[in-house]
Amino acid sequence: MKQEIAIQMRDISKTFGDVKANEDVNLTVYEGEVHALLGENGAGKSTLMNMLSGIYTPDSGSISIHGKQVHFTSPKDSIALGIGMIHQHFKLVEVLSAKENIILGEKGGFFTKGKELSKKIRQISDHYGLDIDPEKKVYEMSVGEKQTLEIIKVLYRGAKILIMDEPTAVLTPQEIKRLFQIIRNMRDKGCAVVIITHKLNEVMEISDRITVLRKGKSVETVETSKVEVPNLIEMMVGKKVSLSIEKKNIENKRVLLEVDNLRVINQEKKNALDEVTFSLYSGEILGVAGVAGSGQKELCETLAGLVKSDKGRIFFEGDNIVGKTPRDIIQLGIRMGFIPEDRLGMGLVGTMDIVHNIILKDYQTQPGFFLKREDSTAKANEIVERLDIQTPSIYTEVKKLSGGNIQKVLLGREIDSEPKVLITAYAVRGLDIGASYKIYDLLNEQKEKGVGVLFIGEDLDVLMELCDRVMVLCNGKITGIVNTDEVTKEEVGLLMTGGSLEKEAAHVKSK
Amino acid sequence: MLKVNKRAELPKDREAIIRVGAILCSIVCAGIVLAVMGFNPIQVFREIILGAFGTQMRIQQTVVKAIPLVVTSLGILVAFKMKFWNIGGEGQIMMGAFGAALVALNLPSTLPMPVMLLCMAIVAIVFGGIWAFIPAYFKAKFNTNETIFTLMMNYIAIKWVTYLQFGPWKDPASQGFPRIATFSDNAVMPKLFGIHIGWIIALALVAIIYVFINHTKKGYEITVVGESLETARYAGMNINSIIITAMLISGGLCGLTGMIQASAIEKTLTANISNNYGFTAIITTWLSRLSAPIILVVCIVFAGLLQGGAYLQIAMQVPASVADMIQGIILFFVLGSEFFLQYKVSFAKSEKTTIKEVA
Amino acid sequence: MKRILAVLMVLVLVMGAFAGCGGATEEEETDALTVGFIYVGPASDGGFSEAQDNGRQALEDHFKEKVKTLKVESVAEESQAVKNAAINLMDQGATVIVATSFGFMNPIEELAKEYTDIKFLHFSGNKMNDTNFGNYFGAMEQPRYLSGIIAGMTTKSNKLGYVAAFPYTELIIGINAFTLGAQSVNPDVEVKVIYTQNWHDPAQEKAAAEALLDQGCDVIAQHCDTAGPQIAAETANAFAIGYNMDSSSAAPGAYLTAPVWNHGAYYIEQIQKIMDGTWAPESYYGTMADGYVQLAPMTENVSAEAKAKVEEVQAKIESGEFNVFSAGDKDVLYNDGSVMIPAGTSLDRDAIWGISNPDSAMVTLVKGATGQ
Repeated sequence: MKQEIAIQMRDISKTFGDVKANEDVNLTVYEGEVHALLGENGAGKSTLMNMLSGIYTPDSGSISIHGKQVHFTSPKDSIALGIGMIHQHFKLVEVLSAKENIILGEKGGFFTKGKELSKKIRQISDHYGLDIDPEKKVYEMSVGEKQTLEIIKVLYRGAKILIMDEPTAVLTPQEIKRLFQIIRNMRDKGCAVVIITHKLNEVMEISDRITVLRKGKSVETVETSKVEVPNLIEMMVGKKVSLSIEKKNIENKRVLLEVDNLRVINQEKKNALDEVTFSLYSGEILGVAGVAGSGQKELCETLAGLVKSDKGRIFFEGDNIVGKTPRDIIQLGIRMGFIPEDRLGMGLVGTMDIVHNIILKDYQTQPGFFLKREDSTAKANEIVERLDIQTPSIYTEVKKLSGGNIQKVLLGREIDSEPKVLITAYAVRGLDIGASYKIYDLLNEQKEKGVGVLFIGEDLDVLMELCDRVMVLCNGKITGIVNTDEVTKEEVGLLMTGGSLEKEAAHVKSK
Repeated sequence: MLKVNKRAELPKDREAIIRVGAILCSIVCAGIVLAVMGFNPIQVFREIILGAFGTQMRIQQTVVKAIPLVVTSLGILVAFKMKFWNIGGEGQIMMGAFGAALVALNLPSTLPMPVMLLCMAIVAIVFGGIWAFIPAYFKAKFNTNETIFTLMMNYIAIKWVTYLQFGPWKDPASQGFPRIATFSDNAVMPKLFGIHIGWIIALALVAIIYVFINHTKKGYEITVVGESLETARYAGMNINSIIITAMLISGGLCGLTGMIQASAIEKTLTANISNNYGFTAIITTWLSRLSAPIILVVCIVFAGLLQGGAYLQIAMQVPASVADMIQGIILFFVLGSEFFLQYKVSFAKSEKTTIKEVA
Repeated sequence: MKRILAVLMVLVLVMGAFAGCGGATEEEETDALTVGFIYVGPASDGGFSEAQDNGRQALEDHFKEKVKTLKVESVAEESQAVKNAAINLMDQGATVIVATSFGFMNPIEELAKEYTDIKFLHFSGNKMNDTNFGNYFGAMEQPRYLSGIIAGMTTKSNKLGYVAAFPYTELIIGINAFTLGAQSVNPDVEVKVIYTQNWHDPAQEKAAAEALLDQGCDVIAQHCDTAGPQIAAETANAFAIGYNMDSSSAAPGAYLTAPVWNHGAYYIEQIQKIMDGTWAPESYYGTMADGYVQLAPMTENVSAEAKAKVEEVQAKIESGEFNVFSAGDKDVLYNDGSVMIPAGTSLDRDAIWGISNPDSAMVTLVKGATGQ
């Protein structure tokens, strides 16, 4: 199967200002293989693929497709040669049907006869084992269906080379399984599939060969069957990293936070949260799992007093805190660190330095009219030292730090205030492996101190490994609270899509 | 094909080069236009500079023009620091002047001057503040667009004062000419070193606003709200109260400008008292990159340009429009350079896709 | 912040370089008397300010190199603008300041107190002092009355339109004189006035004239600074009377004549006195006999009959035999019915302007004229 070369990229370099995004990168992808492009954030994966799809032009180096050297100046050129890119964020028109989305942007597509089109779509679907209703509107589709539609869209345009940017990030384990089956089908039909990802387990499962990028350079291309996860990590990080999360069981737990039948109605007048009841204990990490947008943000904001609940009570150490101002709640010792997709913007002010970001939570307790910086400066030094934050100085703008260091500043600030309850949402979002594990260690440290940690996560593997219990949200409702020792990842995945479990009574047991 | 991309961050020396380059370009460009029009550009520039700073009298005139710009710019700064686009400086100045006139025309002229001036200033600050409070309240409560709202409030204020001037407040002693009665002497700001004491107020305010923004809790809150609303929310700040407080300060300062102009300059209230300071201050505030001390410098340069232009008109007997044009060209380049500081323009290669056989 | 300071430093250096390198062109010192003029509009506005500027030109032409004139155009009627203009003029060597608009009065009065060695001449005001601040104006009511006669004899609808800037004394006097002139030849005539609240606004003045034409007026007179009303009248096949200066070219088909200023005569006289050292502030009130106010030459549009009548009355006015504000055997009434001029009497300048007695100031319109 591996005779024909689909993509050959040689000595590709691309610089943005002072940043070398790609430097002498080599990549060879054969027809009929699934090729994983692995690397940490900022390793240059997306830049490389954007050059392949014609969005960027390389500064130097050559690209050959099916043996012919090409020079792309726009995505159109790339599509014409049968390269299709499926982005992380879908580019679909919500109000149109699947069929209409497929022909959108096609020349003369407006007059394409419906029947013929449906027939062609069915042909493609059958060929690759895809399943879609051409008449279904996009807004009625699940995330998985939308992704399938995106795939059909590029196949319809004749793509023989598919590039998928983090395709599993938004999917449930079940949907991931289905996607992998589709990818395998495409491979078997002779397509070349490139998957960009940083999830090692998936790489091992789906890919035939792996190219690892590190700091803009291609490190190595290996056959998947011949490597182990630790080798891959070493290639990605550049050094050996020990990866183990120690899950200690803390004795003498007591209830810190008790949420009783909480309901939150969002701006669209829908229930963002409903019938949410759970307890958070001291000395535990309670994970929150769920597909994106299942109510995680609303839960955090309600607990922090930023959003009003429409029903229900929240007890903190026995007192109902519903109706208290965010400031009061902070002062009670409930601290939240929420990492939004752009990292900054919810917990930190990017244009301010570390000191001023630390003042953010301190200044309110200062007496008087003037801002006092001395204590916060000392605290900043302490946090930088304790968490090993890489920064030129404590007066460096936070946005100039790397992602991991930004997140350390945020968590460091919250931890430093010695909270009783620590809510972290997406604490390791976009972090490399080493930095992620440092954050996990920090959280475990807090747990040992008796802090109740609510950990809202994205990666089920991490949730299973780190948390004592996992609470699963689906459409704003709790579909289960399980002890991580007693269930499998797949079972949690089932809960994420609204299923139920026999074992689901874990939260009752642990009381 | 031109491509415009947002820049990440420019090295400082490049930034300075672009700024200086912009100023030089504007001078060259204005010079060419002047030469085409038949003026000696070097002489024109020289007259502008001499006209602004050449003699004590001219410096005084420049300072008199700079005072309202500085005070208004400081007011605009407080709002802009919060990314609240207060375009309503004009209206706030107008209402401040109205408040000052209300006091000056109705309190007895026997009142001691400091008491009178203090009363005028307080009422002016309150009135200007109220005028800014209204859009701030609507922004906080209903998330209305403050740009449009404050702009519209300008027109209401201007029409209100025009109505007073032409109607109920028309001075019976002015033979029917639409003007409001002149303030009594105790409502007129005294002079120090030949310039009304507004300059002391302006200098003091520069220091006060600098300290306020950089060294107080409120100033810190305003900055955080401006940099990131969500962060402020997550930090438990009461955003609505911060918006309203900042706008009261912003409008209050603009109102104070109105009082200074009404008391020291016009000695009455007129429908033109804001004299575009509310809009000009947006430019000066922006150019100063929201820094109070730099506002002082920028406003003096700006006032110098205005005074130099006025002088030029007489000295070289050129039409007023020539001076305006030079100002326009300089502003065009200086503001235009801001664009190049933030965006990168490049020529995208437009060559056809070439498919070559690999040898 | 340091960067911005650096940039400003460069700016200052560049400015300094300019200031330095042009040193050769220092203004030459002469013995000429420098006179500074402040105009409310552009010097070429085709009306009020241009009439003033013609006077300035006449002054320069008369004295040649002995007088240097400077001007500042488009100065707003506000203290700040007026003072800045005057101070800049003084800074350039002006020792006589001519302020040509009523709204300049208060700041000029203040400046006169402060700068005692500078002489101030203010047009149309009612303030002066004993040392360095005089005012000047003219008996514009005289040519206005004559233009009223022409209008009264030209109209067919007996409705006259009048576009005026502001309802204040100077303009009210003009409207009343115009109305009385028209009524003297055509007792049924009616004058409709629209105030634009603006000295210089071509579009608004034109619109006001159009509104008057719509109401049936067929002669449009004006007390504002642009030819807008005349153009409107020409478009509507009606007639128009200008103001300030002879403007027959703007609307030749409609233009009849215009009451005009001849400022040059006054300026030459005053400056001569200043040179001779005999000048003292006065409140000048130039008449037709002085040549200070005039009726511009009547065009072909004016009937021979009307021309003859005008010439007859003009002769009486110039000789002092006839006062335009005088009542014959009947009282002249205000339009509210009260008496403006008792039968058999006439009003002198003070009475017209209400200088000595504010109550008699001619603040309302004469019967037959209505304003809006």
